[in-house]
Amino acid sequence: MSDLMQLNMGPQHPSMHGVLRLKVKVEGEIIREIEPVIGYLHRNAEKLCEMTYYCDNLVYFDRMDYVASMNMEAGYLEAAEKLLGIPPPERAVYIRTIMNELSRIASHLVWAGAFGLDLGMLTPFFYCFVEREKILRIFTESCGSRQETNYFSIGGVYQDITPEIVDHIKTFLSEFPRKLEDIYNLFAKNDVFLSRTRGIGYLDPEIAIQYGVTGPMLRASGVPYDVRKAEPYLLYDKVDFDIPISKKGDSLARFSVRFEEIRQSIRIIKQIIDKIPEGPFFNPKAKKPMMIRLRGDGEVYARTESSKGEFGVYIVGDGGVKPYRVHVRSPTFKNLSVLPELAKNQMIADLIAISGSIDLVFGEIDR
Amino acid sequence: MADEGQQQVDKAGRQIFKVPKEKLLEFMRARKDEGFNHLSLITGVDRKDHIEVVYHLHSVEQDRYIVVKTTTNNCTVPSVTSLWRSANWDEREQWDLMGIKFEGHPNLKRMFLPESWVGHPLRKDYDLGNVQYINMDEDGEDYSTFDPGDGW
Repeated sequence: MSDLMQLNMGPQHPSMHGVLRLKVKVEGEIIREIEPVIGYLHRNAEKLCEMTYYCDNLVYFDRMDYVASMNMEAGYLEAAEKLLGIPPPERAVYIRTIMNELSRIASHLVWAGAFGLDLGMLTPFFYCFVEREKILRIFTESCGSRQETNYFSIGGVYQDITPEIVDHIKTFLSEFPRKLEDIYNLFAKNDVFLSRTRGIGYLDPEIAIQYGVTGPMLRASGVPYDVRKAEPYLLYDKVDFDIPISKKGDSLARFSVRFEEIRQSIRIIKQIIDKIPEGPFFNPKAKKPMMIRLRGDGEVYARTESSKGEFGVYIVGDGGVKPYRVHVRSPTFKNLSVLPELAKNQMIADLIAISGSIDLVFGEIDR
Repeated sequence: MADEGQQQVDKAGRQIFKVPKEKLLEFMRARKDEGFNHLSLITGVDRKDHIEVVYHLHSVEQDRYIVVKTTTNNCTVPSVTSLWRSANWDEREQWDLMGIKFEGHPNLKRMFLPESWVGHPLRKDYDLGNVQYINMDEDGEDYSTFDPGDGW
């Protein structure tokens, strides 16, 4: 066994999706050991949450997974509303489910575009971002903000959606599936892409569960686990959708599972977009000036399925207007921890094809 | 299972087991053999006079979910890394932010903050006014100081 050479990748590396630093030990071109170093984007959102009112904490959650901020808000509110005892009215639940799924589509599109870039494909990036921009435009119309939306609020949503927004969502849904197939073909019919991802970064289902991997990563290894089915929240017990799985467990499988998830998200929105009930869009108990006086007692844990995996929020209240302790179970944090297993004994050139397929968002890993 | 720990149910209907920390490892091993193969999270709550450590266990195949709690007065609990590999990073995170020492952890380093950081930020007695600055040394490793230095 010859000496191992230590390489340093990142934190400022174009394919590290933010600020991931990898200490790689290589023997020739084969990776023998890998150690991720994280924390470059750490701002301790959990402590910040302890210092702010329940209704203001949403802002920090927006900035965790900044490409799917509605998923984060849904996760926090699932816990906070249970703790404060302020359920949202039915109209708000419908709006939230629609926005949640749109956000999931946007997040997967960003991932696909960036993954293409990692592997040297520039074209799909533009196609993905054009479609994503249409979703962000819908967000802008409904709440005035593109990415860090801060749209959901305790006891409902911040603003009602108008018939025009519903029309725009419908137009998007009618045009998008065809565009999605175009994007899919850009990847799936590209020989270079296929040969760079097929059989690369195999993840065994047993190992995946051992490491706490969830979301599309786990489903690509053949485990049909989705929190939307296992513990339904919002409207997921009333809509009809499938859990896409693949038994192959490689980077290509993760790609196909995410695209199939986009198709399922479209299916979910189509089922409920015409059924949004009339009525109030927020709970009168959480009216604006009253909101900061909300007091929470006891503890609650809610898990939701974000675009990356199982996103859990654990809140402990002490009867005051601010939470006593907030803990966030970040899916990408767990998904990243399996990277040393995935990349072991692979070629160094495949490392980007493996780390890219995890879908890393550092706002959420470092919190 | 019921006689091994005190039992409660939380707001979402999950069972909570309160286990003394001496029996924790034994209890967790029994749960793992029962089929709880997914350790969803480890977290700590600073209750001022003691620290509460919370474990969420999940069985993917049987779709069962339980919560295990233990308390510690001297900030040490046995590590469960031998049972679930995901505990490795979780315990490092809790050591970093909450200052819980996991005995038997193979590599108990800080997760997010540099090794030279003073204090554990999620503790209730952590002094937020005492600003620490992070700089990088010659080898590219981060270190923290109370002195801003040239980098800042």
